[in-house]
Amino acid sequence: MPLNILVVDDSSVMRMIIIKTLRLSKLPLGEILEAANGQEALEMVDGKWIDLALVDINMPVMDGEEMINRLRENPATADLPILVISTEGSETRKERLIQKRVGFIHKPFTPETLRFAILRRLGGLDEQNAGD
Amino acid sequence: MLETELYKAATLTFEEMGFLLPTPEIGEQQLNAQVEAMVSVEFKGPFSGKLLVRVCGGLLPILAANMLGEENVPPISLQYDALGEIANVICGNILPCIAGSKELFCVSTPKMVESIDLPPVAEIQVGLGLGRADLLLFISSHPVLTE
Repeated sequence: MPLNILVVDDSSVMRMIIIKTLRLSKLPLGEILEAANGQEALEMVDGKWIDLALVDINMPVMDGEEMINRLRENPATADLPILVISTEGSETRKERLIQKRVGFIHKPFTPETLRFAILRRLGGLDEQNAGD
Repeated sequence: MLETELYKAATLTFEEMGFLLPTPEIGEQQLNAQVEAMVSVEFKGPFSGKLLVRVCGGLLPILAANMLGEENVPPISLQYDALGEIANVICGNILPCIAGSKELFCVSTPKMVESIDLPPVAEIQVGLGLGRADLLLFISSHPVLTE
């Protein structure tokens, strides 16, 4: 089934890089939505089926951590698979995020890193058959 | 030490995001290359400062096109944004090397700059293609590094 993926990053260039990488990943893609901050992302998620969110941390208006908290508090989005894609180097913050049941990809990342992190996060996909 | 970590973070980022490999040495043409753009990212945490990245010698459009997977040269605004993202990623990678992995930093949105004010605590050059990238790290309040 095609995956609807939400890409949340305040940098339009980084959103373009992530989307380009997703298209190269051979994953079954459905709709790809973009948001420039956590607030925009929450508005997009409301009433829309999303299979996976790829989220930056440092963003204006509402940062990624607050956005993740709001998603987890909402029964409709509490189990949404989330991967944080960030330059974050602090183990303190990473540990805090991992406790919120998110995966973590450190920038810079290769297409292979992104692909396998998504497959691992979604769990149900067959890693052997999803791309090769 | 700082220069080594900065060089490692820079070359990893240019390789993985820009598909540009560092040249083993920096030749005369690279050294004399004209500055195209400078971008800085500021950080605040246990200490504050900024990282400035300057590209020279025709690197900017190549870097942006590689990052975006475009065959044509992207608009100049996207080229600047691409350079900003490079600076942001290098900064995020160098801070744990300086401060340790437990400390929290807030890294600001990259911005274009036209001049350099403070003396850097570390400065490196990376040869890339026919051009080069200069990286300058400024720290304004660190008990050891600013002595």
